Amino acid sequence: MIENPGLRRIGLLLCLVWLFFAAFPLYWVLVTAFKPPLAVSQGPTYIPFVDFQPTMQAFRDAFAGLRGDFIGPIVSSILVSVTATVLSVFLGTMAAYALVRFTFRIRLLAGVAFAVMSIGGFILLDSLTGLRVPHALLIVLFTALPVAVWLNGRALPGPILGNDDVTFWFVSQRIFPPIVSAFAIYLLYAEMGKIGLPLLDTFGGMVIVYTAFGLPFAVWLMRDFLTTVPLEVEEAAMVDNIGRMRIFLQIVLPMATPGLIATSMIVLAFVWNEFLFALLLTTGDWQTLPILLAGQNSSRGDEWWAISVAALISIGPMVVVAAILGRMMRSGLLSGSIK
Amino acid sequence: MTASAERQDGIKHLFIWPAFLIVLVISLFPLIYALTVSFQTVRIVPPTPPRFVGLDNYAQIASSARFWGAIGTTALITFLSVAAQYVLGFLLALALHHNVPGASLYRVTFLLPMFLAPVGVALIARMVFHPYLGPVNDAMAGLGFAYVPFLTEKWPAIMVLAVIDTWQWTPFVTLLMLAGLQGLPQEVFEAARVDNIGAWRRFWGITFPMLLPLSVAVIFIRLIEGFKIIDTVFVLTGGGPGTATETLTLFAYNEGFKKFNLGLTSALSFLFLIVVIVFATVYLAAAQRLTRRYA
Amino acid sequence: MKKLLLTAALLPIGGMAAAQCAPDFTGVTLNVSTQNGPAIASALSAAAEVWEAKTCGTVNVIEFPFGELYPKFLTAMSQGTGDFDVIGFVPAWLPDFSPFLSTMPAALQEGSNWDDIHPTYRERLMVWDGEVKSATMDGDMHMLNLRADLLENPDEQKAFEAKYGYPLAAPVTWAQYRDQAEFFNRPDQGMYGTAEAYRRGGQQFWYFFSHAASYTNNPNNPGSMFFDPETMDAQINNPGWLRALEEYKDVLQFNPPGALNNGSGDVRPLYAGGTVAMNLDWADSGVLGSTEGVIDGYVRTAMLPGSTEIWNHKSKAWDTFPEVIHSPFLAFGGWQLGVPADSKNQEAAWDFVATVISPEVSGRAIVTANSGVNPYRFSHYDNLDAWSSIFSAEEAASYLGAQRASLDAPNVALDLRLPGFFSYTEVLEIELSKALAGEVEPQAALDAIAAEWNRLTDEFGRDTQLAAYRASVGLPPLK
Repeated sequence: MIENPGLRRIGLLLCLVWLFFAAFPLYWVLVTAFKPPLAVSQGPTYIPFVDFQPTMQAFRDAFAGLRGDFIGPIVSSILVSVTATVLSVFLGTMAAYALVRFTFRIRLLAGVAFAVMSIGGFILLDSLTGLRVPHALLIVLFTALPVAVWLNGRALPGPILGNDDVTFWFVSQRIFPPIVSAFAIYLLYAEMGKIGLPLLDTFGGMVIVYTAFGLPFAVWLMRDFLTTVPLEVEEAAMVDNIGRMRIFLQIVLPMATPGLIATSMIVLAFVWNEFLFALLLTTGDWQTLPILLAGQNSSRGDEWWAISVAALISIGPMVVVAAILGRMMRSGLLSGSIK
Repeated sequence: MTASAERQDGIKHLFIWPAFLIVLVISLFPLIYALTVSFQTVRIVPPTPPRFVGLDNYAQIASSARFWGAIGTTALITFLSVAAQYVLGFLLALALHHNVPGASLYRVTFLLPMFLAPVGVALIARMVFHPYLGPVNDAMAGLGFAYVPFLTEKWPAIMVLAVIDTWQWTPFVTLLMLAGLQGLPQEVFEAARVDNIGAWRRFWGITFPMLLPLSVAVIFIRLIEGFKIIDTVFVLTGGGPGTATETLTLFAYNEGFKKFNLGLTSALSFLFLIVVIVFATVYLAAAQRLTRRYA
Repeated sequence: MKKLLLTAALLPIGGMAAAQCAPDFTGVTLNVSTQNGPAIASALSAAAEVWEAKTCGTVNVIEFPFGELYPKFLTAMSQGTGDFDVIGFVPAWLPDFSPFLSTMPAALQEGSNWDDIHPTYRERLMVWDGEVKSATMDGDMHMLNLRADLLENPDEQKAFEAKYGYPLAAPVTWAQYRDQAEFFNRPDQGMYGTAEAYRRGGQQFWYFFSHAASYTNNPNNPGSMFFDPETMDAQINNPGWLRALEEYKDVLQFNPPGALNNGSGDVRPLYAGGTVAMNLDWADSGVLGSTEGVIDGYVRTAMLPGSTEIWNHKSKAWDTFPEVIHSPFLAFGGWQLGVPADSKNQEAAWDFVATVISPEVSGRAIVTANSGVNPYRFSHYDNLDAWSSIFSAEEAASYLGAQRASLDAPNVALDLRLPGFFSYTEVLEIELSKALAGEVEPQAALDAIAAEWNRLTDEFGRDTQLAAYRASVGLPPLK
């Protein structure tokens, strides 16, 4: 790409400054992981072998399980976050595709009716009958939802919501402060457990929550990326009578690769780092890395070397992911320029 | 609309319902629960039976100086850092898109901060900004500056929190804007180059407007996520001194998870939701007007 | 088999290896949860190996960040999910947890193993509402950590006596503590007078309490340190507390720069690394100083300083005493184990607890590096030899002597234990940090805390809170 050399130099300078800014804390973590305690407690030290004699003690402690089990959380973090990311990006892209290619018309009144029926219905069921929370919730969902869909088909008065509003609804689910939601989900899962469907501290329970977490991002971001995918190819395929699903899978998805990768990384980062829900919803079997990382901030004081080791371990798998996805993004760029 | 088009349209439900249902199921119960509880006093410690109190919780929160203080602090940190993130992130994306030397190295390094759990970032920041053992004050001293109490005074602490947020989340903007840039049709740029339009005008005339919808989404997501800032504040200042750096989520966390005052926390969450939705509506309307002006 | 051999080697008790599965808990898996290791968690894991070999049960140690233990345990227990069979927590939470905890079986509350536990723990910290709800597995209190290389240096001794007019020794009053902090504060040599924790969320209020106990824990009015035990009026803004706050803030000038940002974790390496002449801390500083510190061999420990004047909230005047009254403050009070009432394996769980706190297992834990377990049994204090791997003989004598003396002190001060603990300490931390940063005057900060404490007490119910407070300080119920 030919560019103004002056601009290029400014760009390079910016990148170098940012590289230092972004990398210095990471460098600090890297060297601190090898520091003996006294190299920390007697003032800052910077360069191994010059400022201090590096030691592997902190790594040995970590892998001996002295600071909590690392292997379990690594495995569960990877399994849970990869599954949830794939699910939410795939389902989110599908929804985004629908929002780009079709028009949705939702009557505000039908939406309000659903809210009133579900919330009111649940409160009634909960206070009048002794129904368990999951049962009441299911009953409410299975009555209010069809009724609302049916109402939507009637000629109700009032404003009509469009695609933008549907998108906004998805994103708005991320606005509510997570404190009460986390507790409520915990209550719901605990109740589910009591009726024989264990969700607390299970793979399934975590994946459902995190998929729901990632979906709003996936829907909104993919909607923007999909708008830039040209319509002509799809129309040609439609003329050839190829089904929508195949068009989506074989034409749209490949063309949206850069966006897909970027969105996956965003969702992955959110899920990988999520703390509050992981704290409440897991016990021993599916504890994730952020919990372990937070645990290095112990009541016994800041053992920086241990914190650094834990931080390195928790970022390790992501370095690999970032490298792979970064590479795919390059090739995505190439395939994008062909079109 | 013809019958066949209608049938064609039916498939849209297949595309959107799975996502819709999952989000609905996971968000419905918390919403119902929080709504009911927000009209009650519910405390687990000391155990008090739930009691209906009407709008008392809302009144208490709305008249609490601490709540509005927390909203102010949160908004300040968020606006400062999101503005920095957007400008820096977009610039970096442009640089990377134009393949400055070493782009592949930056690509990975720049992304890493985003993949570190906020609590880890907070712990690292505490190391780096440690007044006595950290490198920042060491460097300041080396350059002849006076020692700065980064974490124990209001303004330095707020700046530090904004800088950390910028450190962690600029990659988010870079990544998405880069993907956006890569998805732009090349023909337009070719044409512009043929017409010998300068880089400055090319950016404001073509690149920026075409990426405006994405920018709106990116900024909005960063804002609503930024509003949830808690870990760095919790670890670095604990909200102090006093409540000078207390953010909304930290306030809610203390009410909800330390005092288990769930009624108040729920009311607080709804008030916050209302504040953000009002704000979001204004923001999106303004963004739409801007987009239309460019389109 | 390997585990069995290991246990036989660990437990030199005759017949242990032969008596398999007694009591038999084959097939029982206990979920034991506490903070992330190594402290406490490693001690539980070590005890788990012994218990597994003895009873054929299985133990699963689950760790959570310290800051999140309270909500995690409380949500689980209040929902009755039965997630945890044994929880390791801190005494301040016992009032909030006790409705969800089972009571220690009577069989464990007798015999020589029971009597061996220091009565301060056995009769006070383990008890709530007249029932033993938890088992102490770690003794804890604030102490003064000193350095023999400074205290016993003849030049320093001479210079100190010339300046202050009395010989240099472990400070017995807070005034002497201040003198020494001032004397040893030599920033040009990279040495500072003392180190205390001042950071909000860094356990600062326990340091404040340690100062305050000396001026407010009046032996003539037992249990009147935090509240008036007759009316439940907050005492935290009385002149005794004010003096404590002013002194706590005053020694900031002899702390290393940036001390406002120090938590208890920062105070420890400052002492062990020889940056400060002394510090106020739990027992951990001494162990760190002697194992990883540059002051190895010079670690000395003393009971917290006291005072000859203590505020009397009834007469609204200072009571003067002929001798220095020590009110050593049992800050934190040591980790405890409890068995949630929703546990499905309560019998096995209590049996495991008994193993953890048994003299043999705990006696090993207290001398194991990084176990985080400090002495709490008479047998722990008596066995000086066991400490040789960590301390020199002199260090061990002063370390154990100071702890034992603190517990035995007639005017020992217990930590605040009250339902709604976090509500009370939250405002305390907020106002304290304002006062320390110089944003408000100490008296104004204390007045604000007192007002909020009174409001909270009314909100939670003054009568129930009063009854709880009286129980926590060991007073009989009011008529």
